[in-house]
Amino acid sequence: MTAQAADRSVTDARATPLLSVENVDVVLGRGWRANHVLSGVNLAVRPGEIVGLVGETGSGKTTLARTIVGLVRPRSGRVVYDGAETSRLRGGALRRERRQGHVQLVFQDPLRSLDPDLTVDQIVGEGLRIRGGLDPAEVKARVIEALRKVGLDAGLLSRTPGQISGGQRQRVSIARALAADPGLLLCDEPVSALDASNRNYILRLLGDLRDTLNLPIVIISHDLSSLAGIADRVVVLYRGRIVEDGPVSQVFSAPKHPYTALLMASAPSVKHDRPLSVHQLRRTDADPAVGRELRVASACVFAARCPFAIDACAVQPDLEPVAGPAANAGGDPWTAACHRRQEWPALARDRKQ
Amino acid sequence: MTGKPPPDEVLRIEDLNVAVHDGAATAVRGISLSVHTGEIVGMVGESGSGKTLTCRAALGVLPKGCHIERGTISFEREDVTQLSPRGWQRLHGTGIGAVFQDPSSYLTPSLSVGSQVAEVLRVKQKLSRRAAHDKTLELFTAVGLRNPALVFHQIPAELSGGMLQRVMIAIAISCEPRLIIADEATTALDVTIQAEIIELLKDLRDQRGLAVLFVSHDLAVIRELCDRVVVFYAGEVVESGSVEEIIEQPRHPYTQALLRVASVGDYQRRELEVIAGQPPRVGAEITGCRFAQRCPAAIDACRTAPISLAKLAPGHQARCVRANDPELAGVIEAEMAAR
Repeated sequence: MTAQAADRSVTDARATPLLSVENVDVVLGRGWRANHVLSGVNLAVRPGEIVGLVGETGSGKTTLARTIVGLVRPRSGRVVYDGAETSRLRGGALRRERRQGHVQLVFQDPLRSLDPDLTVDQIVGEGLRIRGGLDPAEVKARVIEALRKVGLDAGLLSRTPGQISGGQRQRVSIARALAADPGLLLCDEPVSALDASNRNYILRLLGDLRDTLNLPIVIISHDLSSLAGIADRVVVLYRGRIVEDGPVSQVFSAPKHPYTALLMASAPSVKHDRPLSVHQLRRTDADPAVGRELRVASACVFAARCPFAIDACAVQPDLEPVAGPAANAGGDPWTAACHRRQEWPALARDRKQ
Repeated sequence: MTGKPPPDEVLRIEDLNVAVHDGAATAVRGISLSVHTGEIVGMVGESGSGKTLTCRAALGVLPKGCHIERGTISFEREDVTQLSPRGWQRLHGTGIGAVFQDPSSYLTPSLSVGSQVAEVLRVKQKLSRRAAHDKTLELFTAVGLRNPALVFHQIPAELSGGMLQRVMIAIAISCEPRLIIADEATTALDVTIQAEIIELLKDLRDQRGLAVLFVSHDLAVIRELCDRVVVFYAGEVVESGSVEEIIEQPRHPYTQALLRVASVGDYQRRELEVIAGQPPRVGAEITGCRFAQRCPAAIDACRTAPISLAKLAPGHQARCVRANDPELAGVIEAEMAAR
């Protein structure tokens, strides 16, 4: 698997994404309870790429991850992994695909996602044992190898999750995913339960895994700043829609969607030198009240919170390429879904700090 | 300790030791700190550094098996160290309010949030049903909940995490306490909501002259909110001072390391540094500096004798033998970048 992945990246790193999510709509619940969780989401992950998926609680980040691994079925659109449409699989075919372990999910809170009664050995090797085809000695060797990749000692094998530290638990979760020899790693808030030092350790580990195994990784986070040191591309979700998607360095130096800018301005920092303050990006009492036309389902998802909304925002904008010299510098596409993506930065600078 | 404390001192903790595991180990060692009216004091440190135990001691709600071994806690210059449970009950809400990390676990899921705030007012302030209702709406407005009349009748599941935290803050300030203790009150929230709650706490401090003791493991959050900061490591205070001084000129190697791993917020690609090693076990007996085993700048003198908190400047203290060594910062930088 790894060798194949490495091979692919050499031949056509730009052309074919390993994973593509195409125009996916997800609706959870039925009838009056129906909740449109994802609308027209497109996402491509290429070999060896780290993609950061950012958004607040309820923006659909976790649902997107669950859709990719086949735990949630999209109402429309498709998920393609390595040329095969995985969102179509049902029953036995879905089970077989899952047991291949191509896409592995690392969950948010290791204390709750790891069985407290199992030892590290059992947790990391469980998937391999269920998949079958390996004798116990091989399983053991793979488990120790997976632990080594995340910097853990084989001495932890007989411990339970309660007997190791929070940072070590998150590394065990990653080792569990790696033991399946995945082609893609999906990490759902891998660092939000950790302190700053452990957070950096885990992020660095994920970066190393990408470098050594050429493993593509999707990191879901509500915190933009934790992606700054590691991701290649960032995708910003707001209420089930992608509002901005582009190379990290460009998006972070001049965000084109007001929500991305608000996220950046809200992140706490030990330095006080933000280009824009949160007050310049939030609606205040001085702003005119949000009209009814901006509160309907067809309006821009961010319009009701956006201080720059105009009448045109009553229609949800599509993701469109960002124009300008900065956009073309990297060669990677950069898109934003905002009618006023050209005007709002200047308007924001004129607002009261 | 000499002379009379300033008149506006709300909370004072003096040389506090807290024992855990029924006295088998000491988890908090010789902590001293004070909080004044209109001041926000931050406590920062890794998990297990004794921040939460210190808070709980100051609230009179230490968990089972823990007790105060030594030291005093005074609230508004009155010794409350040996206060009876009834005495604490009188103080809770009216003297000291508390806000914790996970708001949904402190509210009854099946009752409207308004009725839960009103209940506090009826019990603590002996308000009538009507007056409690009106006061609750007033509080909801004060904590920035839009449409308070609607929120009053909603149950916790119908509100977002940020709104629930505002409800918890409304409960904490409902009986007009002079001190709020907030333990990781913004940790579970989205960054946009966290920024709003930080502003709310600052506004409440400004408008009501509240004193706030704010606990966080994130120095960046402390920077945004606090006036003074106390840095905890393995149950001890290793450095304390004004936020500006601690951020601009940290003197203890642990504080310097914490700053290097904290969020910088400049969004430029940079090295992700880590503090190598693990903190000592709770209650471990160590001669000398408790951080020495992880410290990139440790020398022999660090391990031979206990190190006291030394005054470096007015209001700035650090527990490090090399605190005045001009080469210290350079050593830490070189060692951490190399790892």
